[in-house]
Amino acid sequence: MSRFCKRAGLILIFVAPIALSQQEEEPNLGGEDLLSDEIIFDDNLFGDVFDESPNNNEGSWLEGFTVRVTQQFYGQVNNHSVEPLPGFSLPREANMENNRMGLNIRYQNAFAPGWLLQASGQARTYWKEDYEYEANDGKIEAEYRVNEFFIQHSFDQHSIKFGRQTVVWGETVGNSVLDVINHFEFRDFTIIDIEDARLNQWMVVWDYFGEGSNWSSFVNLYPEFNPASVRGSPFFFEPEFNLTDYKREGDVLAEVGTQWRKSYDLSDISFMAAYLYENQLRYEDPGSRIGDSVAKKNDFLLLGFSANRAIGRLLLNFDLAFSHNVLADSFNFPGTTSLSSPLDLKKDQIGTSFGFEWAPDNDQSISLGIQAQKVLKEDEGLLPGQQLINEGVFGSWLVRYSNIFLNNDLTISSTLQGDLEGNNLFAQLSIDYTVNDNWQVSAQILSINSNRKSLLILFDEDVRIGTTISYTF
Amino acid sequence: MNSTSFRLLIGSIFLAACGGNILAQNLNGFDIMKLVDDAQRATNDSSFNRMQLSSCKFGVTDGRITCAERPRVKSLESVAKNYGPELKDTKSITITIEPAAERGVGMLSFAYDETGRDNETWLYLSALGRVKRLASGDSDEDTEPASLFGSEFTTEDTETGKLEEYAINILEETTASGREVWKIEMIPNEERARKTRYSRVVHYIDKERYVGLRSEMYDQYGKEVKRLMASRVELVNDIWMARSLTMMNLVTNRLSNMAFVEIYTDLDIQDEFLTQRTLTDAAYRETELENLRAQLN
Repeated sequence: MSRFCKRAGLILIFVAPIALSQQEEEPNLGGEDLLSDEIIFDDNLFGDVFDESPNNNEGSWLEGFTVRVTQQFYGQVNNHSVEPLPGFSLPREANMENNRMGLNIRYQNAFAPGWLLQASGQARTYWKEDYEYEANDGKIEAEYRVNEFFIQHSFDQHSIKFGRQTVVWGETVGNSVLDVINHFEFRDFTIIDIEDARLNQWMVVWDYFGEGSNWSSFVNLYPEFNPASVRGSPFFFEPEFNLTDYKREGDVLAEVGTQWRKSYDLSDISFMAAYLYENQLRYEDPGSRIGDSVAKKNDFLLLGFSANRAIGRLLLNFDLAFSHNVLADSFNFPGTTSLSSPLDLKKDQIGTSFGFEWAPDNDQSISLGIQAQKVLKEDEGLLPGQQLINEGVFGSWLVRYSNIFLNNDLTISSTLQGDLEGNNLFAQLSIDYTVNDNWQVSAQILSINSNRKSLLILFDEDVRIGTTISYTF
Repeated sequence: MNSTSFRLLIGSIFLAACGGNILAQNLNGFDIMKLVDDAQRATNDSSFNRMQLSSCKFGVTDGRITCAERPRVKSLESVAKNYGPELKDTKSITITIEPAAERGVGMLSFAYDETGRDNETWLYLSALGRVKRLASGDSDEDTEPASLFGSEFTTEDTETGKLEEYAINILEETTASGREVWKIEMIPNEERARKTRYSRVVHYIDKERYVGLRSEMYDQYGKEVKRLMASRVELVNDIWMARSLTMMNLVTNRLSNMAFVEIYTDLDIQDEFLTQRTLTDAAYRETELENLRAQLN
């Protein structure tokens, strides 16, 4: 905890100048004076905005940039031990996991009528005590990544986007069974939200905006797969063989899909179909028992339907997915990969996600999402004694609550999520405070509980706290 | 962040120039506020606005009201168009330009006049790249006033409709901001009282230009809790309007200024612009906005 005290001191150093700047030239705030008619209201208090030349939209191309700089501290603070197997105990000591500075840049420029360029990228520098720093032999390391990078042309009823981008299907917030187009990276526990984990891919997306409905189709020119855990991260466990990316060796891979969407009074519906590769690779032992594991891909067909319905301040969401020829023994879990004896069985799978969002008033919102999936004919093709990793109905649930205070400057939110079997539970409390138009401070506390039926037993009773300071301009 | 707010807000600060043709002495309080309501719909139709919302804690320095801190600033662009047989339904779209952290966030709203019919709202979050329907409810039934983009303005402050739900009286003819004004009191009836936070609102209406120059809002204990000050009254598109509105919250000592940097009405706005496409298709949106701007020149 002492490290965190030091970090807290650093945070105060960051925040103190902001708070002080707020208090400069403090005028008299006596309430009675303000009611007096003798107090002059200055017409020009905000008059500067009118001094700008009207209709001035000939801005510099540099105005398309949005830059965010962040510093994040995050770590496990509960000294305890876990017992993944009876009689086998592992110590879990408090330690700093993330001490990193981030730079996110986003750029958007409608450079000609009907044309738009959009790009975003990020850079990270890992300071001392960050797990990436430790994994890099105690050297400060930097990492760069291009997220979005696409050019868009819109004409008549059409819009075509080419480049790195994401495609999001499904209505259920946070855990839709249809949100499988892009791959994900849950690198550590600072990312438990799928919206933050989604990675961009090289695609062509064609949207057709019809009279009463829209079509959106995509071709993924270079399907990518969930990356293996980063060495040093909380999710990383030394495998027997190195987990590598899929070796394409000249393979030409492509994914295609299309969605038809129509809005009715108080409701939206969509139908979709796609030919995809499973985002999670399956890893097999190398035949020679030497070298890297063998990463195997699997293609499948997806048919889906989604809908929502607004009833007053209640919004109901529903997603349905039918997957043909998914691997029965591959499984997806944040940041982990399966390395087990393959069954090489392809199965059909049906899944649904549904839930609601409810806003009891203008400041509060509550949402619930449940995801449930089932492999069809799960026993077919199994050898005696074999069983699937996911038998019966499996899935997860997610509950979110948020409350806004101080004219939207302060948001307190909590997230609970777990699996349907009740084997694990994530509980997170977040506080986000907007200091001014540039500065934001957020803090999180995350607790994990698990039993031995879940791999999360390795994180049982972990408590993580963290804070992030952001400056955006 | 109720979408109808812009429709109502913009309308609330107008009084049609044709009001000058009516003999002032024949007007009662209801007539004057009815003019506001009518002008609201007329001025909102097919409009394009660029506005800046500035908020700060305030105090008094040398007898003048000043900001006690650097103001928080939001810059917004909004396009609206009326629909329906009596043009009482409104479709509007609002895009956040500043602050940088919220740049590109867009909101599409369909506000229906029909009692009991729920409004529809879609939000586009640029960081997530997706459109999301919001459950916004029926503005008539949702009695809780909503803050406009985190400012001191609320949906209630911006409404001028439902005049039948108020007792409206001219209290006196006086002066405000150096102008001759009617001082008009609006007291909600029993039904309206259940939906409002104010027990009484007093407006100061410029007798010559038919523009509200000041409003005072009182709570149930008769204490003034908010005050609206209007300035920069200009003739825009043949309509007198206050292009700068400042709402002072006298309880929290915070104020918000809404500056109509640009406001244009009677534009040729394509119906397709007020659809979800405008939220997601930035290339299309920017092109159409350019077309709107071209109409201004």
